[in-house]
Amino acid sequence: MASITLKSFIGLRQSSLENHHSTITLPSKPLQYLRHNIIASKSSPKITGRNLRVAVIGGGPAGGAAAETLAKGGVETILIERKMDNAKPCGGAIPLCMVGEFDLPLDIIDRRVTKMKMISPSNVAVDIGRTLKPHEYIGMVRREVLDAYLRDRARDAGATIVNGLFVKMDKPFDKYAPYVIHYNAYDGKAGSTGTKMTMEVDAIIGADGANSRVAKSIDAGDYEYAIAFQERIKIPDDKMVYYENLAEMYVGDDVSPDFYGWVFPKCDHVAVGTGTVTHKPDIKKFQLATRLRARDKIQGGKIIRVEAHPIPEHPRPRRLSNRVALVGDAAGYVTKCSGEGIYFAAKSGRMCAEAIVAGSENGTRMVDESDLRNYLQKWDKTYWPTYKVLDILQKVFYRSNPAREAFVEMCADEYVQKMTFDSYLYKTVVPGNPLDDLKLAVNTIGSLVRANALRNEMAKI
Amino acid sequence: MTSSMAFFSSTTPTNLPSFSPSSKTHFPINPLLSLKPQRQVFGSVRATENGSGAAVVVEEKKDSTEEGNGAPVKADVAELGAKFEDPKWVSGTWDLKQFQKDGATDWDAVIDAEVKRRKWLEDNPESSNNDFPVVFDTSIIPWWAWMKRFHLPEAELLNGRAAMVGFFMAYFVDSLTGVGLVDQMGNFFCKTLLFVAVAGVLLIRKNEDIDNLKKLIDETTFYDKQWQATWQDEKKE
Repeated sequence: MASITLKSFIGLRQSSLENHHSTITLPSKPLQYLRHNIIASKSSPKITGRNLRVAVIGGGPAGGAAAETLAKGGVETILIERKMDNAKPCGGAIPLCMVGEFDLPLDIIDRRVTKMKMISPSNVAVDIGRTLKPHEYIGMVRREVLDAYLRDRARDAGATIVNGLFVKMDKPFDKYAPYVIHYNAYDGKAGSTGTKMTMEVDAIIGADGANSRVAKSIDAGDYEYAIAFQERIKIPDDKMVYYENLAEMYVGDDVSPDFYGWVFPKCDHVAVGTGTVTHKPDIKKFQLATRLRARDKIQGGKIIRVEAHPIPEHPRPRRLSNRVALVGDAAGYVTKCSGEGIYFAAKSGRMCAEAIVAGSENGTRMVDESDLRNYLQKWDKTYWPTYKVLDILQKVFYRSNPAREAFVEMCADEYVQKMTFDSYLYKTVVPGNPLDDLKLAVNTIGSLVRANALRNEMAKI
Repeated sequence: MTSSMAFFSSTTPTNLPSFSPSSKTHFPINPLLSLKPQRQVFGSVRATENGSGAAVVVEEKKDSTEEGNGAPVKADVAELGAKFEDPKWVSGTWDLKQFQKDGATDWDAVIDAEVKRRKWLEDNPESSNNDFPVVFDTSIIPWWAWMKRFHLPEAELLNGRAAMVGFFMAYFVDSLTGVGLVDQMGNFFCKTLLFVAVAGVLLIRKNEDIDNLKKLIDETTFYDKQWQATWQDEKKE
């Protein structure tokens, strides 16, 4: 390939020109970190008389996991959550590894999905899940149950859980001066505006989701987001049997131009939804199309709830500023292609907390920005391949109807199923057998060529 | 705080139909026209969820007892087109026995039939049904049928272009420098020119391809840049 000179990337904020050569990152190589020396803050002062104080804003999976790890590490933690019984709209799928890594009790999981059906624009339906072992599944959870469990565990570890709404933060003027956070404490009283409170903390973890106020306070920048729209439908019991442990994915221009429509089984009903980044005003039209495609299987159903929420498409330009770090949806850690965010939220919360605990030597020293950068570096290094691969998949296979037809055709192949599930359930990009990979590449190209050829013929009609 | 995310106001007149428990009626894709608004009964609309604006929850209670889905829907069935039907489309795939011509399968006809089916479905999306699964796989059509129909005409076109460019470039270079065709092939610069010409013919087939290629190159690295953005801060400090 002829050499490509990339324009030097100014960054996604207005900043002055820097003399910075962007390395051309190939998909298989991890990100190159340019001459970044991490100096553990051995030079930060020891704190006398108290432990390090950290505020975690937001009590979802990211906040709960972070607060628990901090509290266990000896840091004085306060978790501020605005609505304790929040039943968040969400797909609700968690990979198998999350159950093990976060010691989740099995009764949190409402359903174990072991089969998936992918349905192409021309209704070719492919069953995937043949390669799953008996103990492998995708867990479907209710967010209110999961979030509450993680918060309770954080409280049991020693964190203080406060029902309140974060308003703003005062940034410190000195290097080791504390941040002052302002929040409205609700104290369990619904409907009131709460009492204004302030608190001094040494570091802040922003886990307050896609509309993060912490992110706004540190000028983290914006991200593109998809809108996910979903209707919860209670279908008759005989139809529910079909969805006992099966989830469906519908692809097509009618359902979404850049995402997919789904039918996910929940505790006693199904969630039918779709999403889009580029055509948000048409979301209702896409939802109707999704319901039409699933019509025969959800006939007789009653809509019990309608909900929507944003899904970040990529991380914010700035995920960290001084001693404030963002995790979870606030940082934008949702994968492309599948739109998965719960596991990454919890994991990033934990990783950030671990970095703070390590940098502060279990709460005895002050932390500074370099300690928090450790978390970013570890995160990027561990999960970059996963994110990049899913990005490539989305770019290649969600492009157009022919690409989606090819995608569904490819999913019929057992090797593809095994690779997909292994990487989804365990969150590692497994290299796989090179010969099989080659065969897969050839088959993929073949499928794409055939589907595109058919599409060109369609244009002639 | 709620402003940017409040997409769905709680008074959205969404006419979400409850599904008819009767036999398979074909709902139009846009039922908003046929269902009258007064059939919907909006239950309590919870606005408290709007705390920080992300999710709007509208609880709806459907009155499916009174004025069921009888009369209006029956009228719609007549309006709506039928499902995709074709005598050669049997059990979710093309019946190759019906495509015989002179004793062998007429693959071109199979391709044409599939093209028509996909075009139909794009214009009239259908519900996917478990009792009538679609199992057609385009790979049953042999590779040479695809080659003959799609690759060869394009290949002829491209080779023709390459031949024309090659002939005139060879003549042009010869007239300017006096170096004949055989000697040109020995020269490094000429070999490079040849490579560029071939690549150009292959990659740029329509005028739009130049822009498309540039966009493609940007696209491959855009996601990486979004991820690296947070590290640029650190470099400045």
